[in-house]
Amino acid sequence: MNNLRIGTLLRWLFMVIIALVCLVPIVWMMLGSLRPRNELFQYVSLEWHLLVPVEWTLDNYRALFTDDSKPFGLYIQNTLFVAVVVTLLALWFNSMAAFAFSKLKFRGRNIVFAVFLSALIIPGEVTMVPTYMLVHDFGWLDSFQALIVPAIISVFSIFLLVQLFAEVPRDLLEVARIDGASWFGVYARIVVPSSVPALITVGLITFLGQWDAYLWPLVVINDDSKQMLQVAIATFTNLEATEWGKILAADTIASLPILILFMFLQKYYVQSIVNSGIKG
Amino acid sequence: MKSYSSIGRQEERAAVYFILPAVTSLALFTFYPMINAFIISLKEQSLINPVSEFIGFRNYRDLLVDPKFWNSLVHSFHFAIFVIPVQTIIALSMALLVYRKRWLSGLFRTSYFLPVVIAMGVASTLFKLVYNKDYGLLNSILSTFGIPPVAFLSDPSAAMYGIMLLGMWKAAGFFMIVFIAGLNGIPADLYEAAEVDGATRMQQFFRITLPLLRRTMAFVIIITTMDAIKISGPVFIMTGGGPGDSTTTAVYFIYKMAFLQMQLGYGAAAAFLLFVIVMIISIVQLRVLKSDVEY
Repeated sequence: MNNLRIGTLLRWLFMVIIALVCLVPIVWMMLGSLRPRNELFQYVSLEWHLLVPVEWTLDNYRALFTDDSKPFGLYIQNTLFVAVVVTLLALWFNSMAAFAFSKLKFRGRNIVFAVFLSALIIPGEVTMVPTYMLVHDFGWLDSFQALIVPAIISVFSIFLLVQLFAEVPRDLLEVARIDGASWFGVYARIVVPSSVPALITVGLITFLGQWDAYLWPLVVINDDSKQMLQVAIATFTNLEATEWGKILAADTIASLPILILFMFLQKYYVQSIVNSGIKG
Repeated sequence: MKSYSSIGRQEERAAVYFILPAVTSLALFTFYPMINAFIISLKEQSLINPVSEFIGFRNYRDLLVDPKFWNSLVHSFHFAIFVIPVQTIIALSMALLVYRKRWLSGLFRTSYFLPVVIAMGVASTLFKLVYNKDYGLLNSILSTFGIPPVAFLSDPSAAMYGIMLLGMWKAAGFFMIVFIAGLNGIPADLYEAAEVDGATRMQQFFRITLPLLRRTMAFVIIITTMDAIKISGPVFIMTGGGPGDSTTTAVYFIYKMAFLQMQLGYGAAAAFLLFVIVMIISIVQLRVLKSDVEY
């Protein structure tokens, strides 16, 4: 009995410690962004004010949005635009391909699907140089096309959707076909509406991927007025006198929307990973 | 019969329209660049000089004797060899702690996953400050336990570990979810039977849980390996490959060669070698990890 209690206690101890390791840096970031400049470096021992500001202020946020040489609002706008456009187009085109692979019978289906899957092992880092040259030849450098067009099709998303579309029975589709629906009608009116959780997951993954994008924008975007959020934040730390308060404010603004989005949508996300058969 | 085949043909035509965008995009932005990567790697090509010439395998030969390239590979492997076991054990422990539906377990699961949602750019700038020697969060906490301050990012022998810690902080939660999916797939009656037979928790873990998690484990290890060898994000933002090249990983080396030193051919050759190395490792891992235990 005593052993059991010690076991439970230990389990809770570990759970709490891991939770602290995961959460404290994030909380420190958010509360740190609300501190005046000098206070951030004042409290360096384990005490209440290591985390919680003595004096609360929004100065860092004000400084962030009023600095015309680094228009933070514009970076958010750019990133939001690219991420939303990519997510919408990705949902459309990837789900169409996934529908064909999981529900339509056509010659060479398995071979084409195998070729698709083989693309999973080709890392973007390897194709970065030639893709850059291609984008350069298209005249897309310093434009949003360079960020949007190559990012739409994702083999991983198609793969995930094929797994999740399998739950929609083909009989249902045959019935609709006999009733005179076109294949596009079947896709748009039966498969898509019955796979909303799967689409939310793929949408979430795509959106986060774009919101987080760093290396590709760094390579193809030089024009500061078209820059993406993560690249912009990263350049903040390279300035002569790094203004940490401003960086923490930028980090917080870049994180809050996706943290909130994720809180609401996490059950779909987790469920899709469980159902996708990734577990083997 | 005739009507059947016409329906079939209609279906084939529909299928072509459905997959056409994906096929075009893959051909243009994945397979063509992949082939091109190899062709460029056989050239002396730079961004400044539009004229390029074929030089055969000279880029590869130069790479094989370039100590900076070897160093970058060593750094990537150092990262991978440390992170693969440590992160996998941490992710599995997290999953074991919270996979059962218990009081508050959902809350803990969410908090373990939150770092995954934080963008790498944000996390890297944040950890740059967390690691600060004089007033960073980590050294503030360590000093409470009497540990002298560590310059996590400016000390060449510590910088790589700073990047590893950030990498694991950000990625462990994702693999926890994958492990939870695997754990939930293990039939509960196996444990009940083991309980009846008087097996201890330890025995249950090593005799039931671990063997039945083998395929999940294979997936986690292979994906972690691929990600680890290609680690670059935090390197760009936190250290710029320094101090003294101590954190220059393979992908950072490729970027530096291709886009900073403008030697596209040389960078492409390095990228291609890296691809071959990752491929070989993945194949070996697949063989080893998938060999036995079917259930």
